[in-house]
Amino acid sequence: MTGDSSPALAVDVEGLVRAFGARKALDGVSLRLPAGAFLSIFGPNGAGKTTLLRVLTTLTNPSKGSVKVAGLDVVADAVELREKIGLISHNPLLYPDLSAEENLLFFSEMYGVEEPATRVRELLAAVELDHRRFDLVRTFSRGMLQRLSIARALLHRPEVLFLDEPYSGLDPHAADILDSLVAQVREQHTFVMVSHDLAKGLELCTHALILAKGRVVFFEPRENVDETAFAALYRSTVGLGVA
Amino acid sequence: MPDAAAAARRVSSWRQFKAILRKDIVMELRTKEMLTSMSLYALLTLVVYQIALSQSGSGFDIRLIAAGLVWLAFVFTSMLGLNRSLVHEKDQGCLEALLLSPVDRPVIFFAKSIGNLIFLLIVEIITVPIFAVAFMSGRPIAGPFWMIVLSGLVGSIGIAGVGTFLATMAVNARGGSFILSVLFIPLMYPALLAAVAGTSAAVLGGPGYVDMFWRSVGMGAGIDAIMLLAVYGLYEFIVSA
Amino acid sequence: MELRVDKKRLTFAAVIAGAVLTTVGFVLAFLVAPPVLADTTLASGGGAMIGGELIANPVLFSQKIFYFHVPVAITSFIIFFFTALYGLRFLMTKDKAFDTKARIATEVTLVFVVLTMITGDLWTRFEWGKWWVWEPRLTTYFIMMMLVIVYFVLRASIEDEERRAVYAAAFGILAFLDAPLSFLITRLVPSGNHPVVFKVGGGLDAIQVTTSVVALLGMLCLGYAIYQMRFREERAKERIEALKASLED
Repeated sequence: MTGDSSPALAVDVEGLVRAFGARKALDGVSLRLPAGAFLSIFGPNGAGKTTLLRVLTTLTNPSKGSVKVAGLDVVADAVELREKIGLISHNPLLYPDLSAEENLLFFSEMYGVEEPATRVRELLAAVELDHRRFDLVRTFSRGMLQRLSIARALLHRPEVLFLDEPYSGLDPHAADILDSLVAQVREQHTFVMVSHDLAKGLELCTHALILAKGRVVFFEPRENVDETAFAALYRSTVGLGVA
Repeated sequence: MPDAAAAARRVSSWRQFKAILRKDIVMELRTKEMLTSMSLYALLTLVVYQIALSQSGSGFDIRLIAAGLVWLAFVFTSMLGLNRSLVHEKDQGCLEALLLSPVDRPVIFFAKSIGNLIFLLIVEIITVPIFAVAFMSGRPIAGPFWMIVLSGLVGSIGIAGVGTFLATMAVNARGGSFILSVLFIPLMYPALLAAVAGTSAAVLGGPGYVDMFWRSVGMGAGIDAIMLLAVYGLYEFIVSA
Repeated sequence: MELRVDKKRLTFAAVIAGAVLTTVGFVLAFLVAPPVLADTTLASGGGAMIGGELIANPVLFSQKIFYFHVPVAITSFIIFFFTALYGLRFLMTKDKAFDTKARIATEVTLVFVVLTMITGDLWTRFEWGKWWVWEPRLTTYFIMMMLVIVYFVLRASIEDEERRAVYAAAFGILAFLDAPLSFLITRLVPSGNHPVVFKVGGGLDAIQVTTSVVALLGMLCLGYAIYQMRFREERAKERIEALKASLED
């Protein structure tokens, strides 16, 4: 699986540093993730998880190092790369004063999706929101928002999906729906998920990573992870505090 | 996915521009949040003017300060609207969603600015006739009407462009609307002075007023061009900071 | 290491040169330079008319303050240029040192702008008998002072260090562009109150020019020295912070 040819790598990070002055949010992160994998990133608050995700999604530029996602450089090819990635965050990233359909149509325009109306209907059906498609997003429950936000992230058929604490604030039922949606699209995508939930993260992933103080403490394929030892290591980093 | 298909899919900036603008207009027409609050605020400003001028007597020629009063009302109402327009984007992290899409950052700037310009112009169209009826009866303006329109447009373009830029900064600052006003007023000083001078020339008339009008409007347009070019260049930095 | 020693010496030299030059400037201004008469075409009787005011004292002793006021004003603007320049460099490199430099340049600008305002206002008070007149240069400097103060208000209102630096850089650049625009536009509105003591192409003799130039050089040296000293202090603070952070590891 760990082929050397770059197209097979969904994420290829080499010596990534993200610093401002003396403070380093990321301090020499390197990781190679094959296409089709599911990476779970764990780490205490302030370990640099969010910063790493922001760099991978082109929202923040790296200070040093090379970062490629889906074979594209996050700085030089940022615009093309944005067409190939989607983000599902704990923040819905939807306009409350637009209806579900209007939101998706708007983002279809932003991504230049072909035949937007068909695509939007298809996705609304997939996330079981077609009966609410004319309703304002403002009236949606947390679970419905999260489903719609998944539809938004999938609109442009991204290759790599990023999930930023997608389970936070979801009730068990909504979490189940999210699980089944992720399972549905699991095949065609590479996933990178940031999570606090150790059990959930390990259940889904093919690769696990622990970040502490901006450095990679642990990065192994799932089959090499011993759950008890992993949990102990994770807990030991929590005490380390902020980078 | 084949590379050719990916390349062909590259969205035109024009399409994205229209999408953002349409979205802002649809949202505004639905909630009418900005337009009602801005218009109401403009009307209240007129009430304050009435109080301020209540002891000035009948001999006082309001035309001397009319342009200044009108622009003052626009400045304060525009700040209200500008702040709202960016708070919308910030609320649910929508700005982040925009930044995640394959859009050139200046497209976001232009779309938001044009949207704000449209809302500002609507409020101006509501406010000016009311001001004229309430304060200017019996004192007609000297210059042709298109002069008022032109100077209004030049000033409003500057307010909308620079204002959108500053509002983008202010939504990320503590005390957003306060920060917006303290950044906005000194920075807009030259543009506002030009706008008031231009409108005032048109209202007052007098010898050489056409010359004065073109000088002011020309300066105003020049200031707009310089400031807009600068904020256009800087927008990418602040929106991704 | 050698470079730093050089800078230290340069700063020290600048302090001395600034002190000497400004002192020489004052001495020249008060003891040597002959007074500039107000526009003689406006003179009526024993006084002079400036801005519609009759000035009883034809020698206008208070104009001596201009040998202080003008150099300070020019210096403040030159230092403000560095706010914009370092802001631009910061945006291009994202190197925190440039942010620190831009901030300190703005601090020094504030000192000089406030001095400009005070000296200008003293003159206004004695020559025009008013504390404040909205005329082009005073207005421009007032706006510039507001912009510089607002620069710090903006900085104080942003939590994230990097965002603060980016916003401050952007605002610094805009503010620097704004100052000459303010000046241009205030000239457009008829006013004509400001005394053109230093007319271009005549009116000043060699000794008056020398006095102004000496005072200007002195002020520039002082500005540079204050900037360097503040910068070194800030860098030392930042190094201590960095050391603290690395000790926590």
